[in-house]
Amino acid sequence: MTLKYLIQKEFTQIRRNAFLPKLIIVFPIMIMCVMPWVMNMEVKNIKVTVVDNDRSTLSQQLVHSIEASNYFIFEGQQSTYRTALQEIEKSRADVVMVIPQDYSRDMTLGKQPQVLIAANAVNGTKGAMGGAYLTQIVTAHVNPDIAAMQSRVSTLFLYNKNLNFKLFMIPALFAIVMMLMTGFLPALNIVGEKEAGTIEQINVTPVSKWAFILAKLIPYWIIALFVITVCLLLAWAVYGITSVGPLALIYLLVMLLALFWSSFGLMISNYSDTMQQAIFVMWFFVVMMLLLSGLFTPTRSMPSWAYATTYVNPMSYFIDAVRTVFIRGGGITSIWHQLLALLGIGSVMATWAVLSYKKNS
Amino acid sequence: MNAIEVHNVSKSYGKVKALDDVSFTVGKGEVFGIIGPDGAGKTSLYRILCTLLLPDQGTATVDGFDTVKQMTDIRRRVGYMPGKFSLYQDLTVQENLEFFATLFGTTVEEGYDSIKAIYSQIERFKDRKAGALSGGMKQKLALSCALVHSPSVLFLDEPTTGVDPVSRKEFWDMLGNLKDREITIVASTPYLDEVRRCERVAFLDKGKVCGIGTPDEILTRFANVFNPPGIEHGKAETQSQHGEPDNVIEVEHLVKAFGSFHAVDDISFTVKRGEIFGFLGANGAGKTTAMHMLTGLNQPTSGTGRVVGYDIRTEHEQIKKHIGYMSQRFSLYEDLTVAENIRLFAGIYGMDDKEIARKTDELLDRLQFAEHKNTLVASLPLGWKQKLAFSVSIFHEPGVVFLDEPTGGVDPATRRQFWELIYDAAGRGITVFVTTHYMDEAEYCDRISIMVDGKIKAMGTPDELKQKYNQPDMDHVFTYLARQATRSSD
Amino acid sequence: MKQFISFVIKEAKHILRDKRTMLILFGMPLVLMLLFGFAITTDVKNVRTVVVTSSMDHLTRQAVDRLAASEYFTITQVVATPREAERVIRNQKADMAIVFGPDFASKRSGVQLIVDGADPNMAQQWTNYATAVMLNADGGATNAKMLYNPQMKSAYNFVPAIMGMLLMLVCAMMTSISIVREKEKGTMEVLLVSPVKPLMIIIAKAIPYLMLAFVILIIILLMARFVLGVPLAGSLFWIIAVSIIYILLALSLGLLISNVAQTQLVALLLSAMVLLVPIVMLSGMLFPVESMPKILQWISAIIPPRYYIEAMRKLMIMGVGIKEVAKEVLILTGMLALLMTLALAKFNKRLE
Repeated sequence: MTLKYLIQKEFTQIRRNAFLPKLIIVFPIMIMCVMPWVMNMEVKNIKVTVVDNDRSTLSQQLVHSIEASNYFIFEGQQSTYRTALQEIEKSRADVVMVIPQDYSRDMTLGKQPQVLIAANAVNGTKGAMGGAYLTQIVTAHVNPDIAAMQSRVSTLFLYNKNLNFKLFMIPALFAIVMMLMTGFLPALNIVGEKEAGTIEQINVTPVSKWAFILAKLIPYWIIALFVITVCLLLAWAVYGITSVGPLALIYLLVMLLALFWSSFGLMISNYSDTMQQAIFVMWFFVVMMLLLSGLFTPTRSMPSWAYATTYVNPMSYFIDAVRTVFIRGGGITSIWHQLLALLGIGSVMATWAVLSYKKNS
Repeated sequence: MNAIEVHNVSKSYGKVKALDDVSFTVGKGEVFGIIGPDGAGKTSLYRILCTLLLPDQGTATVDGFDTVKQMTDIRRRVGYMPGKFSLYQDLTVQENLEFFATLFGTTVEEGYDSIKAIYSQIERFKDRKAGALSGGMKQKLALSCALVHSPSVLFLDEPTTGVDPVSRKEFWDMLGNLKDREITIVASTPYLDEVRRCERVAFLDKGKVCGIGTPDEILTRFANVFNPPGIEHGKAETQSQHGEPDNVIEVEHLVKAFGSFHAVDDISFTVKRGEIFGFLGANGAGKTTAMHMLTGLNQPTSGTGRVVGYDIRTEHEQIKKHIGYMSQRFSLYEDLTVAENIRLFAGIYGMDDKEIARKTDELLDRLQFAEHKNTLVASLPLGWKQKLAFSVSIFHEPGVVFLDEPTGGVDPATRRQFWELIYDAAGRGITVFVTTHYMDEAEYCDRISIMVDGKIKAMGTPDELKQKYNQPDMDHVFTYLARQATRSSD
Repeated sequence: MKQFISFVIKEAKHILRDKRTMLILFGMPLVLMLLFGFAITTDVKNVRTVVVTSSMDHLTRQAVDRLAASEYFTITQVVATPREAERVIRNQKADMAIVFGPDFASKRSGVQLIVDGADPNMAQQWTNYATAVMLNADGGATNAKMLYNPQMKSAYNFVPAIMGMLLMLVCAMMTSISIVREKEKGTMEVLLVSPVKPLMIIIAKAIPYLMLAFVILIIILLMARFVLGVPLAGSLFWIIAVSIIYILLALSLGLLISNVAQTQLVALLLSAMVLLVPIVMLSGMLFPVESMPKILQWISAIIPPRYYIEAMRKLMIMGVGIKEVAKEVLILTGMLALLMTLALAKFNKRLE
């Protein structure tokens, strides 16, 4: 019964805040409208410079086919490897291709010419992919046999035929929005009451720990429901992207994630003395969980010790599951173990949040 | 030459006029008081004189320098202690003091004599972090920091709020010494005894100067604000109404130790139903700690205690159902309205909507507060907030209510209204357990105890104590006992 | 001078006494460096592969063995039909399927790769690798050379980014919060009224954070060099010189924020919203600027860390001379001059 009054109080406080209501409405919109454009790790606009030491018809054919490829931006030719490298240093080129002096002679003799491809690999993905595509073009020219074999390998991209990065990132954005809205706000909540002194007044009332913490959690769950609805609508309206799998499962996943983050936020808040501390500690954990979650990079590429952390990382379960449902159209059978894991971690965290709140010391 | 000249100064924040055509002068070496209720514009005035704010209209000079044009000259000459000054919590007492001494271009050794009387009381805690001091001790440290240098003009904005009577006397004695060194002092205070120690005072209300004169002149002219008639209190009746008086609070050999330091050192007492029990003591004597144990916020180290029949060790959640509490720091939700605050706390104690609505209207009518039902608490004046906080703490008709310095920083008229509410509650059978630094309030209590160094030194009715120690009033009784303290001066 | 020193000492004590914040401040670079150095990679590794074949003939087995032998792929199961393979991928038991035609051996029918396209970059790389492994085309006509980062470690790319983020965070966020805290607690009034010049107060407040930033910079550089094996190819002098310009820039930003904000919470949110989010998102730290739409590229043009990170990547990793980063350094210096002037001009000597 007291829960009603406590929840009412939390909502009134959120409403009265000069900043929070705006944040809750504007923030998801901002994230959904801007981030998919930003979080684009698509490799494109690779700039290629060619050093043609052969200057024969054959070598010029190769150069032309690179010019013609719409994957690369052709930045012209350089006379020496040295000057080409300088182009890379000046950021005017990403990849340099050097055609050896006796390219056409080797070709006519049936020998394998050695074309040098030097890529700027500071950004590893960009270097590797640029190198790989250039290699394919060269191979097609140099080695018709392999080219023929290559043509026999066809590729079918499932779920994301156009390899659209936005489709990949949008479900991940749900995770980020949830984390920021239902994680950081609770982290500031109890410590805010500590700084204002109101917590002492609450502590001398007979209100139970569970009621007090629950009353603080529930508003964030309702905010989570609202926010995810806004996100789903925006994904559909702005990008024409909708979930392939059942929406109910998306909602269920989001609520479980909200359970974890809101409890985690309150738990941090219980242990902190100042808002600054709460934010810093929160930020630390958020960055770690985010980086190890597989949101940006595949978890399976990680070394085994890092991969082991994904077993306790709710973000990792969520991102796995939400992509399976949203992009791949998986049903409950595909994600049941992620659901269980999220529920388990969430419940543990909620209990911790309650136990760490001390009415009496 | 006058030390301070203020001519027709006005200052507004948006539509609110904080200062309205204020003019006065303060002579060199004078002790000048600025008194007035909360929100009268005192802080704005201090800030203008300290060159922190620019006046909208009018001019002010300090030590002959213009506050607008000659900022650097003034800042080199004045000392200022703001009202909400809170020191650096994470620095130790010593570090705070040293920092401020260096800041003002002096050293602790040089300034030691001028702060000795007060600093010696907290010197024993010099390695403790300022954040770990009790409220009153923090204030003493702040005073020491403000006085460690010798400015030519000293501005003190309510410097003694929350400080016990003995220390307040010592503080004003120190100001007297400064006066001998030709230092001009401008101070504001809610305490009448301090007002009387000024040479002249200005009464400020709603941004206007209502009168300037000697303390006696002003206090008589505005007697309705400063000298309200005492309250009649039918003590005998309230107790007999409940038949044989039983004990609401029983405490035996209660101890709370933080490491080797015994904040509360073996105290025993009982409080009867319907009684108003004054729990007095100097700053740092252990009052708040004792109260925290009784209200179930803290566990005692040893000893036993029962509040409304429940054990304070094991049944603290039971106790919380039957008590009310109003803490030292004002602690209603500032971002909720008056009605919403009442509703929240009533709801927590399990009242239903109908009952809450009915009792809320009743309460607001009684307080003549009905028009502010939907006002945000943050925008209420301090005195009203405190009345409201008290009313909320007894809204669920608890067996006993604990009040920790409920009237700090409030003018006498408002304090009187507050005590009317306390009598009202006691009349309804609610036991009142109250701490205060106002000795006139101590006289209002049925029975008082005086704590010194964690122990209870004296207990009885005000009249009994006055007789026993052969003193004219409670102020003297308190001073007599508190001066025996060893904890802070060794 | 004595006042100044005691001021700096006081400020340093504030920082040192807040154990939890200290732990985060020094723990963060450590953890970030370790994560980016060892854990976060886009390497093609352990790709769970399903083989779809109706008849496991000799040539098919050879191709499968070659895949299994490579460190890139792990064959998890063999199924009969592509439909089954699709189901396995959907349930996230595999990332890719390789469908061998029934008469693969006769070289008439081909091979089909069915790839989980959810992650476009990885999908393309898996395809490239799988093709290369099966056709044994590696080291054919081309000789690929990965400049500056032969092992293609992501740390090379991220170390400069971590520096850009942490230095900004420490300097701008911490400085602004510590100034606003004094405003909130009322101590700023006393400091202002004291004989100490307001400019001195600000400089004294900034110095400990400057030193803190410097320590963090050194930690990052040492870790990059000795733990992650990232070469410091360029001149150490210029790396540190450019970093100092950037640190001063961040301090000016922090000072500006502290002028606007009245409470710690606002300062915190302002730094997080207008500093942290744009830095992480738009500076090219994680996401390449050139893949963004034009309008976002313009916005990113006014974000200082973009130039710092760019300059550090070139100086540290590519080892170019200072001439090659002149543009970035000039822009940073220009921004510094502008922000510093603005911050000092805006600094309130009074309370309003």
